[in-house]
Amino acid sequence: MPDLISISDNTQHDAERWTSRVLRLGVWVSASLMIFGLLLAALSPISIVPLSMNPSLGNLVERMFSFTFDPVTLMFTGLVVLMFTPILRVITAVFGFAAERDWRFVIVSSVVLFMLVGEIVYSVFMRR
Amino acid sequence: MLRGIFLSILTFIYLLAGGFVAGTFGALLGLGGGVLLIPFLVIVLGIPMHQAIATSIIAVIATSSAGAAINLERRIVNMRLGMILEIATVAGAILGGITANYLSSNVLTKLFSGLLFFVAAIMVWRARLHNGKETVYTNGVLPGMFVDDATGESVLYTVKKVPAAMCVSLVAGNVSGLLGVGGGIFKVPAMHILSGIPMKAATATSNFMIGVTAAASAFIYFAHGHINPFIASTAALGVLAGSMMGIQISRKIHSNVLTWVFAVALLGISIQLFLR
Repeated sequence: MPDLISISDNTQHDAERWTSRVLRLGVWVSASLMIFGLLLAALSPISIVPLSMNPSLGNLVERMFSFTFDPVTLMFTGLVVLMFTPILRVITAVFGFAAERDWRFVIVSSVVLFMLVGEIVYSVFMRR
Repeated sequence: MLRGIFLSILTFIYLLAGGFVAGTFGALLGLGGGVLLIPFLVIVLGIPMHQAIATSIIAVIATSSAGAAINLERRIVNMRLGMILEIATVAGAILGGITANYLSSNVLTKLFSGLLFFVAAIMVWRARLHNGKETVYTNGVLPGMFVDDATGESVLYTVKKVPAAMCVSLVAGNVSGLLGVGGGIFKVPAMHILSGIPMKAATATSNFMIGVTAAASAFIYFAHGHINPFIASTAALGVLAGSMMGIQISRKIHSNVLTWVFAVALLGISIQLFLR
């Protein structure tokens, strides 16, 4: 079984290694934002106008870039980072498979990515 | 007034503890946190079904991402198979997410009740079926290899009947998007029995997939305003911590008694949800 032997080669595992790192980073960043948001909600008398309980992705980006950090914004940002983490891992897989020159799986990963992007576009337009 | 929108400390503790328990036992039983988290949110805390499903989807992404990061490093995940099956699970989950938002809370509760009944039956069936022996196929496609912690030996395998596994994955993805569970309860037996993948690789690959599957409906629930930041953040953190604990414990205990106890408990919860 030549295929089984070849998969033990370290050069075949770029996609796995990078994907693992992306997932770990996404979980840490999102969990930190959620914990910070919850702590801020519990401890501080808030003077900033809080974000709506049903914000759009645009609202969140706007508030993050204007450094308007209230507990709701921080928690929502943590949740959105978490929601984007699997998508980021699909993007990483596309590049990982490309680095391995496994074009068949570049296409497979790209199809998954295309569907996920389609879902986000649908969600954005559905709100309007 | 602003304080009014924040959770009371008691609700916070309930959510964190409930998430932790759901995550721990979910990992111990190989169910993921959603199957136990949703009934807790709906029955104990009285949270609306759509919001409970959205919260569970967030928790599923968190546990899948954390677990998959570890399993990828240990090389238990068959990433290529996972990517192929994700085409089906993502398509199913998007359709499920869209459908769920057209269904009433009552209909979703009844469907979830039916799912719990089905899950309990599969749990019992798996417990009776499992005899510790595995047949590995070497003439299929998408070869994989991992080191079995229990024996220290390398396990080489290939995958057969990928189209059949894709069909089951489509259903699993649809149930995930519709009812907020990971769908591993469908995929793992399918990958193991239909495709001949060793149980550990099937479980790790399923766990790897459910994060993307859940993300495929998460944005739809987000756009509908079903994600409450306080509830989702607290429950997700609880489930995440609980599932890490459950994974550690599951390496030390293997109890069929636990499976039977929870199968009966799930039947009870199923009936309670159905009668609501």
